[in-house]
Amino acid sequence: MKRQFFYFSEMGYNAYPIEAAEKYGYTNLMFPNSIFDREKARDLWQMFLREHEYASELGFDGAVCNEHHNTVLSMQESVNISAAVLTQRIKGTVALVGNPIPIHDNPVRVAEEIAMLDLISGGRIISGFVRGGGVEQLSTNANPAYNRERFEEAFQLIKKAWTEPGPFRWEGKHYHLRVVNPWQLPLQKPHPPIWAAGILSPETVRWSAKQRITYLVLGSALDATAECRSIYHEVAQADGWTPGPEHLGYLLHTCVMDTDEQAFEMGRHHYGISSGIGRTGVSASSASLTQSTGSAGVTSGGAHPEWASPPGYMTRAARTGAMVKQRRASEGTYEGANRAGLIVTGGSKTIIQKFKHIIDRADPGYLVFWAREGKKPHDATMRGIELLGKEVIPALRGHESALVTGKEVTPWPQ
Amino acid sequence: MAAVSNYSEQLIEAAGIQVQIRRGGRGPTLLVLHGEFGVPGWLDAYDQLARSFDVIVPSLPGFGASTRPDWIMGVHDLAAWVTWFARDLQIATPLNVIGFSLGGWVAAELATVAPQFFKKLVLVGAMGVKPEAGEIFDYFLESGKTGHRRAFHQPDQCVEFARYYGKEMSVDEAEQIEQHREMTCRIAWKPYMHSLTLPHLLPAIATPTLVVWGAHDIITPLSSANIYQCSIKDARIVSIDHAGHMPEMEQSAAFVQAVRGFLID
Repeated sequence: MKRQFFYFSEMGYNAYPIEAAEKYGYTNLMFPNSIFDREKARDLWQMFLREHEYASELGFDGAVCNEHHNTVLSMQESVNISAAVLTQRIKGTVALVGNPIPIHDNPVRVAEEIAMLDLISGGRIISGFVRGGGVEQLSTNANPAYNRERFEEAFQLIKKAWTEPGPFRWEGKHYHLRVVNPWQLPLQKPHPPIWAAGILSPETVRWSAKQRITYLVLGSALDATAECRSIYHEVAQADGWTPGPEHLGYLLHTCVMDTDEQAFEMGRHHYGISSGIGRTGVSASSASLTQSTGSAGVTSGGAHPEWASPPGYMTRAARTGAMVKQRRASEGTYEGANRAGLIVTGGSKTIIQKFKHIIDRADPGYLVFWAREGKKPHDATMRGIELLGKEVIPALRGHESALVTGKEVTPWPQ
Repeated sequence: MAAVSNYSEQLIEAAGIQVQIRRGGRGPTLLVLHGEFGVPGWLDAYDQLARSFDVIVPSLPGFGASTRPDWIMGVHDLAAWVTWFARDLQIATPLNVIGFSLGGWVAAELATVAPQFFKKLVLVGAMGVKPEAGEIFDYFLESGKTGHRRAFHQPDQCVEFARYYGKEMSVDEAEQIEQHREMTCRIAWKPYMHSLTLPHLLPAIATPTLVVWGAHDIITPLSSANIYQCSIKDARIVSIDHAGHMPEMEQSAAFVQAVRGFLID
């Protein structure tokens, strides 16, 4: 495949007073919605959608949208509504990453809505499925202990609804439907490309490989992403097939400006209280329990650790594995996050070299630039999009991964 | 009183799973159904009761070292499992049962359908009914550690709190706490820690029942205790002073006195 370059914005509600975040120590689940300002949110929507349009105009291949609940992190409380709007505002692919299917009691509704989107957009949809974060389970009262079971069962049901003639009956463990017979089916046959996404849960990586679907790494450090690629390939090879670049996506905090220094300073917006980095920080309940002091601690990133990982949501392996390593890699600072590659910043020349290094080591078929975050000003965001579209993406389009060519890995710029 | 003495702890095969069981004492059988924190150990209260009873404390499926069958998804399933367990152990019925918190809910469900199982029933800070005033504490918005502290009126003055919950946890101990939280989620997530049908069935309970409540319980509001007492025909209530949700650990002497008096009466 030809590598594709997507634009991503959480479209987060960045108009909350920072003092309120400091007062409560978190910005999700129970952060009081009396702080929400409707008029500011209306204006933010227009700004975010304009940024999406601009990325499309400048040659991005597509856009990624997502879903979160009860949080300033993202105003997208329905990924399908975001996607519906984007299909009308951008030219390329719209990747939904994704529908948090365990929170739904009727997964067929999701199958129906994706089919509508695919038909309306003329087959421009990628359908991602996610387990949803811990907060999504709590805010929708979806039992976290059954999250993975519900994810896998909902996935099988949706796939069957798209690929096998209805009507049929579904009597599963978590879902029971007498008549599955959605009238509309997706335009793409047998169904839109399916992605799973995660922050390095090894179970999800293995499961994705078993299903032969694309795994999108969400904002993780390069070392961990390369490890995830290896796990995926091992599982695939054990099953007798070889994955291609199209089986790996990589979504990364990206801040490009006219100079390295400007980009580094502007990139701080990606490390704020609403950033994904804080979100993926401390989430191991057992970790807080083994500490002699403190109980329900608060992470630096605005998430309450118990909410990020309610009981049963993560296995012990996931709690103590890659994510913990990643947190160590970032050293808890913005500078550390830069060194670990959790945030990629630079002027065009520098950032092109950084992304060549990333492509050389991970060879993602889909590179997703998380290019707007926090309170980054609109004009800086637009300039970043312009540089990505006019200089960075064209320079990367012809770059073949060292994993394919066998050439030396492009060095990380000093 | 020091933690004791003559009790055994073993893993046995019973009721379709491997069960961790603690047992001590002599006399009529007293089956203990633990709460959402599992069985922390052989408590002082068990030891004192073992002077008058054959105290049997199984870890329910998914708790402690008892295996978790995935089919158990609700408190009804646990209640049915308890009868199976008693049959496999050839425990003579009727017998005395104490249910703590979540285990109290299990016992109450069982008492509505199997009165022949019970001689007498003790419900301690029992979950299972929606309080008319106040709300059941939401453990899952807080850490396990916070949940433990909230379950005690004065945790820092309680020897057994320090012994089992206030100490530095090893990774394995912390993981077991998470395991108990997960199992509780599996069976009591929605509606949270209560049944919509149980209050309607409580009048069917014919078993003499003692409802025990810590006077400072902020986990299950006192109004839940009142529902149990008012709905069960032959029920009386006792409040334990200076105790929260775990009177058996925080005021073990007063707790044992109340329970023994009721069961031997």
